[in-house]
Amino acid sequence: MSLLMIIVVLLGISSLGGIYRLILGPSMTDRVIGLDLLFAIAIIYCLIAAWISERTVYLDVAIGIALTGFVATLAWSNFIQLQSRRQPGSSS
Amino acid sequence: MTIISGLLLMISIIVMLIASTGILRLPNALARQHAATKAATLSVSLFILGLLIQVLNAGWGSEWLLRLGALLLILLITLPLAAHALGRSAVIEKTTKKEKSL
Repeated sequence: MSLLMIIVVLLGISSLGGIYRLILGPSMTDRVIGLDLLFAIAIIYCLIAAWISERTVYLDVAIGIALTGFVATLAWSNFIQLQSRRQPGSSS
Repeated sequence: MTIISGLLLMISIIVMLIASTGILRLPNALARQHAATKAATLSVSLFILGLLIQVLNAGWGSEWLLRLGALLLILLITLPLAAHALGRSAVIEKTTKKEKSL
């Protein structure tokens, strides 16, 4: 159980980088990159919850988070590409 | 068997810490994408492998094996696609900004 506590604390430390890059990234792509890292950390947290409580419901939650993160990242990157192509002067 | 599982879990968490350091310290959006997505894919895959060894050791039935295998397959298909889309958007945004500054 102490190994799991160490893993949870280290994951919390490594999610601080994603939160920092999500809040004040210089460009729009940096925020999407931080969101992608936070989705990966959320999947690992769901696996830890499934391991501790010994229920398979959290694995279904992890599959749903994986699919939602994939669709969100793809939609945001397509939005950034369309915005940068249509308005080459006012993209931020 | 449990020692191998704990070793895989610790390697996975160390790789995730390296990804977080790279996303904080690298100077460019494309370099940050390179650091974040590949390391996150390796980290989640190693964690699923460690949990799989733990499930096989404890003998928790075939529901766990089916769902963990489906999750590993979905992640190995979708995460490189997301990385490719992020790289495209980073390159296009950078070239657009350079034209604007000129």
